[in-house]
Amino acid sequence: MTISANQWLDRIRSLPLERTVRIMNVCGGHERSISMAGLRKALPASIELIPGPGCPVCICPEEDLFEAIQLALHEDIILVAFGDMLRVPVNVKKCDARTLEQAKARGADIRPLASPTEAVKIARENPETPVIFFAAGFETTTAPVAAMLVEGAPDNLFVLLSGRLTWPAVAMLLESGDAGFDALVAPGHVATVMGPEEWQFAVDKHNIPAAIAGFTPQSLLAAMYSVIRQIIDGRCFLDNCYPELVREGGNPAARRQLQQAFHVRAANWRGIGIIPGSGYVLRTAFMQHDARKHFPDYVEDARKRAGEMPPGCDCAKVVLGKIYPNECRLYGKACVPRNPVGPCMVSDEGACRIWWANGMRQPSPGKEAQANG
Amino acid sequence: MCLGIPMQIRGIEGYVARCEAKGIERDVNLFMMQEEELAVDDFVVVHVGYAIQKITPQEAQTAWELYDQMLAAG
Ligand code: SF4
Repeated sequence: MTISANQWLDRIRSLPLERTVRIMNVCGGHERSISMAGLRKALPASIELIPGPGCPVCICPEEDLFEAIQLALHEDIILVAFGDMLRVPVNVKKCDARTLEQAKARGADIRPLASPTEAVKIARENPETPVIFFAAGFETTTAPVAAMLVEGAPDNLFVLLSGRLTWPAVAMLLESGDAGFDALVAPGHVATVMGPEEWQFAVDKHNIPAAIAGFTPQSLLAAMYSVIRQIIDGRCFLDNCYPELVREGGNPAARRQLQQAFHVRAANWRGIGIIPGSGYVLRTAFMQHDARKHFPDYVEDARKRAGEMPPGCDCAKVVLGKIYPNECRLYGKACVPRNPVGPCMVSDEGACRIWWANGMRQPSPGKEAQANG
Repeated sequence: MCLGIPMQIRGIEGYVARCEAKGIERDVNLFMMQEEELAVDDFVVVHVGYAIQKITPQEAQTAWELYDQMLAAG
């Protein structure tokens, strides 16, 4: 018998919870389901849900975006990128192109896509023109890029890779000693590809209860119930609340292809900095498709260091779960989905946009303020 | 960007499957599904045009109910 969302809520409400529990939901897709289903309001006040670093668009390094914009403007190429990336702003002077969309308006050949297979198609249809695929994303999106390369990409297709692993960001938070959460709801589709084992470190190294969840309110509530139970029972383990998709070892073919095409090394996260073992890089065997090896590097060192969020934008704090979106002073004022200041208001998986889209119009006194007073 | 959608396989040719969900058909790449036996009528979860896992018809149904709500909410 399946348990409904309301039954899960009843179970959670009947738990003898004596203190506040802060649960981080890593994935942007989870945040969408939570906000849409209104789970924050439905849960007891002692349960705090903190949106975490699960927005690949939000953390894509500013210098990578800048590089993509410059390549599109100055090289004789076609630039393709996931549609979400087109409106993300970089920090440049007013007269320069701030987004891929603006570069396109200035005549650059930039095309949004929804799948790596479309990049292959565009490259085949334009054999004389180099096609650069600006591929930003987490494991679920980077694995298909690996599959595309391993299956065999046309000679004129190059990848500007900005792929990231999710768990190292959570590991960094936990290692900082000031993680700001007591339990973890881990991303279901990342675990589908990579296997649930990736999240075991939270339990083993940090004693943090963890559960992998799918995207229905039922699955999310089951995961929340699990981690709260673990806290009450004083016994933590990694629970799999999405067994229909998440299997031991993940998807073996996908993981093999990731291994074959890329290796992992330290990588920059926008506004956050370098996180060890968190970025994918093309292996030498696929060098002929590496845009970074075949096209000029437009990014000066100064930009790499200064690659921050736009002025006044608190996205980095939002992504790390340090503040809620409506604690940013620009939220709903200078920054709205139609006129976004930072990446968290651009992406469908950005917490600012999700909160705004689901009707959150009030500024918050703030977690920081609450903590201080 | 990490949300997969369940689709039903209508036909398979090499590593490409014609898949359907809610009356919409798409070509789906099966290169990441090499360890799975897949046949016409099976359900797979599709992310950025690639099948990432096989699922049962019941699970596909449950997932779609959620996505319907999401789409309705815009
Ligand atoms: S509301 Fe806008 S400016 Fe503020 S953190 Fe979110 S994206 Fe950045």
